[in-house]
Amino acid sequence: MSDHVAVHEHHGAHWDTSVWPLVIAFGILFFLPLSFTLNFVYHKPMLAILSLGLGAPMIIGGAAGWTSQAIGGGEGLSRPAMGWFILAEAMIFMSFFANYWFNRLTAVSWPPEGTPAIPQLMPAIMTVFLVSSSFTAHAAEVGLEHGNRSTFLRWWVVTILLGLAFVSMSGIEWHHLMSEGFTYGRNIYSTTFYSITGFHGAHVLLGLCGIVAVLIPALMGKINDGFVKTVSLYWHFVDIIWLFVVSQVYYW
Amino acid sequence: MSFAQTAKEWIFTTDHKRVGILYLIGSMAAFAIAGLMAVLMRLELSHLGPTITNNPSQYNVWLYNHGAVMILGFQIPALTGFFANYCVPLMIGAKDVAFPRLNALSVWLFYAGVVVVLLGFFIPDPPDVMWTGYPPYSVMTTGNTAFYTFTVLLLGFASILGGVNFLTTVSFMRAPGVTWSKLNIFVWSILAAFALQLIFVPVLGTAVTLITFDKYLGTHFFDPSTGGDILTYQNLFWFYSHPAVYIIYMPFIGVVFEIVATFARNRVFNYNMVVFGGFGGIVLLSGEVWVHHLYVTGMPDWLRIGTMVTTLSISVPVGLTIIGLVGTLYKGAIDFRTPMLYALGVVFLFLIGGLTGIPLAVTSLTVHLAQTYYVVGHFHYVMAVAGTFAIFGGVYYFFPKMTGRMYNETVGKIGFWLTFIGVNMVFWTMMVIGVQGMPRRYYDYSHFPQFQASHELMTFGTAFIGVGFALAVVNWIMGAINGKEAGPNPWGSKSLEWTTVSPPPHGNWPEIPKVDADWHPYGYGARS
Amino acid sequence: MSARSLAQTLSLRIGVLLAASLPVAWTSAGAGEHEAAVAKIKDAAEGWNELWREVIIDITIMGVIFALVTAYLLVKYRRRSPDQEGTPPKFNAALAVGWTVIPVFVFLSDDLFVAAKGWNLWNMYRQVPAERMEIKLESGMYSWDYVYPNGVHAQNELRVPAGKPIMLRMTSRDTIHSHFIPDFRVKEDSMPGRVTYLWFSPKEPGEHVISCAAYCGIMHSYMMGKLVIMPDQDFTKWYDGEAAKLADAKKNVALN
Ligand code: HEA
Ligand code: HEA
Ligand code: CUA
Ligand SMILES: [Cu+2]
Repeated sequence: MSDHVAVHEHHGAHWDTSVWPLVIAFGILFFLPLSFTLNFVYHKPMLAILSLGLGAPMIIGGAAGWTSQAIGGGEGLSRPAMGWFILAEAMIFMSFFANYWFNRLTAVSWPPEGTPAIPQLMPAIMTVFLVSSSFTAHAAEVGLEHGNRSTFLRWWVVTILLGLAFVSMSGIEWHHLMSEGFTYGRNIYSTTFYSITGFHGAHVLLGLCGIVAVLIPALMGKINDGFVKTVSLYWHFVDIIWLFVVSQVYYW
Repeated sequence: MSFAQTAKEWIFTTDHKRVGILYLIGSMAAFAIAGLMAVLMRLELSHLGPTITNNPSQYNVWLYNHGAVMILGFQIPALTGFFANYCVPLMIGAKDVAFPRLNALSVWLFYAGVVVVLLGFFIPDPPDVMWTGYPPYSVMTTGNTAFYTFTVLLLGFASILGGVNFLTTVSFMRAPGVTWSKLNIFVWSILAAFALQLIFVPVLGTAVTLITFDKYLGTHFFDPSTGGDILTYQNLFWFYSHPAVYIIYMPFIGVVFEIVATFARNRVFNYNMVVFGGFGGIVLLSGEVWVHHLYVTGMPDWLRIGTMVTTLSISVPVGLTIIGLVGTLYKGAIDFRTPMLYALGVVFLFLIGGLTGIPLAVTSLTVHLAQTYYVVGHFHYVMAVAGTFAIFGGVYYFFPKMTGRMYNETVGKIGFWLTFIGVNMVFWTMMVIGVQGMPRRYYDYSHFPQFQASHELMTFGTAFIGVGFALAVVNWIMGAINGKEAGPNPWGSKSLEWTTVSPPPHGNWPEIPKVDADWHPYGYGARS
Repeated sequence: MSARSLAQTLSLRIGVLLAASLPVAWTSAGAGEHEAAVAKIKDAAEGWNELWREVIIDITIMGVIFALVTAYLLVKYRRRSPDQEGTPPKFNAALAVGWTVIPVFVFLSDDLFVAAKGWNLWNMYRQVPAERMEIKLESGMYSWDYVYPNGVHAQNELRVPAGKPIMLRMTSRDTIHSHFIPDFRVKEDSMPGRVTYLWFSPKEPGEHVISCAAYCGIMHSYMMGKLVIMPDQDFTKWYDGEAAKLADAKKNVALN
């Protein structure tokens, strides 16, 4: 290294700024911690809604502002970064499963009392839908690689539809089980069942948001390859986790 | 530049150095709060019976805030927030991190977590679940356990984003010529620490979320009456929180390596041993030892025995890092500046703290030692003392880089010696009364009147620690305002961060630095 | 600790080191010693004191060596002129490997040595003598409730006869508590949904503090008990007297 030292930069030098991170961070604070506490700890639903109403626009607006700043300026590193993020996500699921396995393997009898028959057909269909959505996402990616914009768009939209179908079936099934008295406070199985499937469902929704966030600029003609790849990587992850969920929680 | 403009460029900044300094300010504020809690606790314990409050609950709230804020709000953010942000891009010759906006999001999530902690002082039912938050108490208490959970979640989320960011940055943004074998030890320690964060924080996040569900949404994860199990929480919690101690240890020893190499003007002794044997070994072993926090909970025997063996063997990689540190002194040219004093303090005090972990690792000895002040003494030496000394030494060391100015050497040394005396007075005494049976988390020890004198001594010693640290903070503030100009490289270091002006401008260098083939961050003297 | 047992400790350590391979070190320290140790240690508390001394000597030696070496280097290699640089000798691959493998070997041997000793003592802690007295304990905020084999209840005062090993089978009705008898070097948590146990062997008549060692709630630090060790005859008198009272009370209930 040569002992080269930069010329002193004088006042007025420009420092990059962005308001969105701060807006999102405090949006999250209002949206989750504060509204949860207001509602469930202090039983002030009005204030909780106020807090939600403050947080949600901050998060959504922040995300929109962020995306518009970021688009086109990516360093192309988002895909490896998503890999690290997925590692962390996988560990969350691991802890849910560890908890489940531990309780289940030490239980005197399983399923515990008060558990209705868990439907077998619906989850199978849901699996088919989600797995095929992974393939359609891949097809879209391939289309993009070949520079074929309409192929990309077509498969991308199919992916969204499959994902939506998955989520709605999940909702129907929850509704059905709850109406049979299998509420989340029922026993350790119901508690685990709703938390794992619910947590996975939230990931599907998040993935869908990502897919939509790619779709909207794409329809306007702006496609960011790196972004597409990152989102579909996440989508594949959500899909793979589902295989664990369905095999452990429904069919075991 | 107008004031508004300056304020805007600080608050909305995405620059890694400014984000780092925001982390530093936040974590030092957290240290001050948690230190104040410690002072209140020590005053309460200075006499038998109620002393400054006659409400035990008040003491428990102080203790909760002391433990949780010191670990989650001070040490982890100071090490993986401030030092990582400020130093890593400079050390690898990058203009910034891979995702500057994500970085800014991390720091503000951290502040959101601090806000939740602060709100805890204004609500009628502050959390009192200790930093471990064990159910069933955390589910049964009238305190606000949700705040505990959300503090952990916000800080944890910030940390995961930081992990994603830094692993990507170091993998892809090193300047040409800065190869993996020429990374600063500190950069390696941050990689190792963030790898642990990514793997283990989610587990903690899940565990604390589940207690909040149990308390407020009526689920039964940890309720034995419907088939749940209390100990699952403890297992999940320590599956994170044991690795967390190495998330603290590795970066702080990394900082100490930088200081020692620079002030001994010497290469790091056996670099590969430190990186692969030391940090690598710690990363591999750290996930297999958590049961040593559950030695007296009735875990199966094979787990207690197995964990005893793994826990003891973690002294091997940790020992390798210490050998690397001591070896770096060999044939060096050692200059005892303030940062170096702190760094050497770490070596000696960490030896005490680490070695007193050995009896704790032996299950059959822990049957007596667990939950006593012996444990409290152990972890204050290893974390509260060694860790805080490393952080303070590190701030002193990078002070000229951050501000372009010099601190006052005499005041720095006085501050160091005051704290050095104080910590030994306080934490050595803790271990002594711990072995004699003083249980921890006691608001009042009226059944152990024999420890009165020791408790008085500890309260007295706390004053030394407090004054010493306060002197350091005053020294920094004064130095930043009107210290002497420091120049780009006052310590004569070879490491990249010292090749740019102090303080570095946005973008760090006019151009990405180019390094010669025989450059090495520790390439002192004899290499030619 | 006497000079002789110090010498023993050290020679054992060196022996383990000389055993030259880790599996050998492992088995020799683990298996061979076991019977001898169980015979030597009469009860867990004594074993605790013994092992504690040994481990403290062990870590003190380690610590002092490191501290002295560091202090020596600091004095020897202090900087004498402002621009003096370090002059480390060249370091080749063999040296690097040697400087890793030898410390690993030394540290690991020491660890396994300590682990083997700890394991022995652990067996003492878990193998309850057959001629014990079993008492049930239910802990709760903020009291210890004991039930003796003959149905006698006691709260916060555990009376036991001298000379008989006592085993507690513990559970809790609310939060986690931990039954800690510092003088007997023993504690174990109690909690809902599980039964845990501990044992100790009271020898001399006397009184000892029992404290709660797990944070269990606001009054945690006031959750105290007393262990009263009584001469055998005194205990029997008290025990039978209580049993008679209990029987009377039952009879009265039945009569009404
Ligand atoms: C930075 C933080 C940090 C670090 C690095 C460590 C390091 C170690 N800790 Fe500590 N520990 C804590 C923070 C830390 N700990 C905290 C916060 C708690 C309490 C939490 C709570 O309950 O609130 C705790 C509690 C704790 C317990 C549980 C006690 C109980 O509650 O019953 C145990 C038990 O095994 C333990 C052991 C160890 C060991 C063996 C090490 C080892 O890593 C130490 C290794 C280092 C050395 C051994 C010294 C240097 C090495 C050599 C000189 C080589 C030669 C030495 C030998 C071969 C022996 N610690
Ligand atoms: C990094 C961690 C850390 C640090 C630094 C400390 C520092 C100190 N700790 Fe703490 N401690 C813990 C982590 C830490 N502790 C944890 C995890 C627990 C367990 C909690 C639990 O049981 O759940 C604990 C528990 C604990 C107890 C046990 C209480 C009990 O069990 O009942 C005690 C008792 O004395 C104690 C004392 C102290 C003291 C006197 C200091 C002193 O060193 C503090 C000195 C500091 C000051 C006096 C502040 C000075 C401030 C400044 C100079 C700042 C000025 C700055 C600005 C103005 C910007 N601590
Ligand atoms: Cu019971 Cu603490
Ligand atoms: Cu640990």
